[in-house]
Amino acid sequence: MTSGPPGPSRAGDHPPGRRPAGQRLAEYLIGRACRRLPGEARDERYREWTAELPAILHDPRVRLPLLRTVRALFFAAGISRTTRRLRRIRVRAGRSGAGASLGNDGRRGRSTLRRVVVGLAIYLAVLTAFVWYGQTGGSRGVPPLVAVVLVSGAAFVAFCLNDLARAKEVRYLPKWGWAIACLIQVPLGGILYLTAGRIHGDRS
Amino acid sequence: MRRVKLTASLERVLRVFLTDVSALHYGYDLMKAARLPSGTLYPMLARLQEQGLVTSQWEAPPEDAGGRPPRKYYQLTGEGVRVARLELAQAASAAPGGAGRGARIPGTRPGAVPRMTRPAPGNAP
Repeated sequence: MTSGPPGPSRAGDHPPGRRPAGQRLAEYLIGRACRRLPGEARDERYREWTAELPAILHDPRVRLPLLRTVRALFFAAGISRTTRRLRRIRVRAGRSGAGASLGNDGRRGRSTLRRVVVGLAIYLAVLTAFVWYGQTGGSRGVPPLVAVVLVSGAAFVAFCLNDLARAKEVRYLPKWGWAIACLIQVPLGGILYLTAGRIHGDRS
Repeated sequence: MRRVKLTASLERVLRVFLTDVSALHYGYDLMKAARLPSGTLYPMLARLQEQGLVTSQWEAPPEDAGGRPPRKYYQLTGEGVRVARLELAQAASAAPGGAGRGARIPGTRPGAVPRMTRPAPGNAP
């Protein structure tokens, strides 16, 4: 019961026909939002938040029924923001707790810095090789090289965006921020994402 | 001593709680009284609850309420009441000085910055 996913089937007390569509939609959205929570909190929070919906949908201070439905949907949207925030707090708490118990809080920061430096070094090395090859190879070597660079660049961006889309959680920037970084700074944004922003083993 | 960072929205929620310390509030009630969206209110409540300043309890299943599901009610703890009053008093004493906490401006009226006055909870709007 506690681990079961919340959903419309949970509201068994009410005949489904009696609840208006707006309420069912809001319940569905709250159920989706609650999936971000761990099992024991999920069910309780779902019951808490869906129990607020009748009060919103029958609020005598709001005259128009449509406006009350809109308010219920805004409520559900706020619940979605809430669970996202709660998950972020939990991730941060879990990480700092693990860091404190293992005593490696500073080491994690240093290893991130090292990975950024390694990523930048790889980038500079590739860039230097590219410039050097372009200078020594002359005009004949450039077109296939450009093609290789373009194709590998596009493949690299595709790889980064795919990885980003599958990541549950990233560091330092929101996911859309990393997506923009990967797109506008073609090798560098992706390298920075892979070295700094990516959390290993956190794929769906 | 527990620390809470007093933001404007937190201040509004604490004022609602302090208007009647013994009153039980459900979420939508608090949202309306404090004029906050659910996406602001519930993370705040979760944080306050984690700090032990707010407790929650489930309403007994209302048999006569026409099948309304039981609600969860929130209330300040004793510690929460203490911290909330202290924080609001500090905010109130910092505001007239205009220069944050510990404002020592020579030209201010005497008694403009009263330290440690206990605000009556009923005074909150």
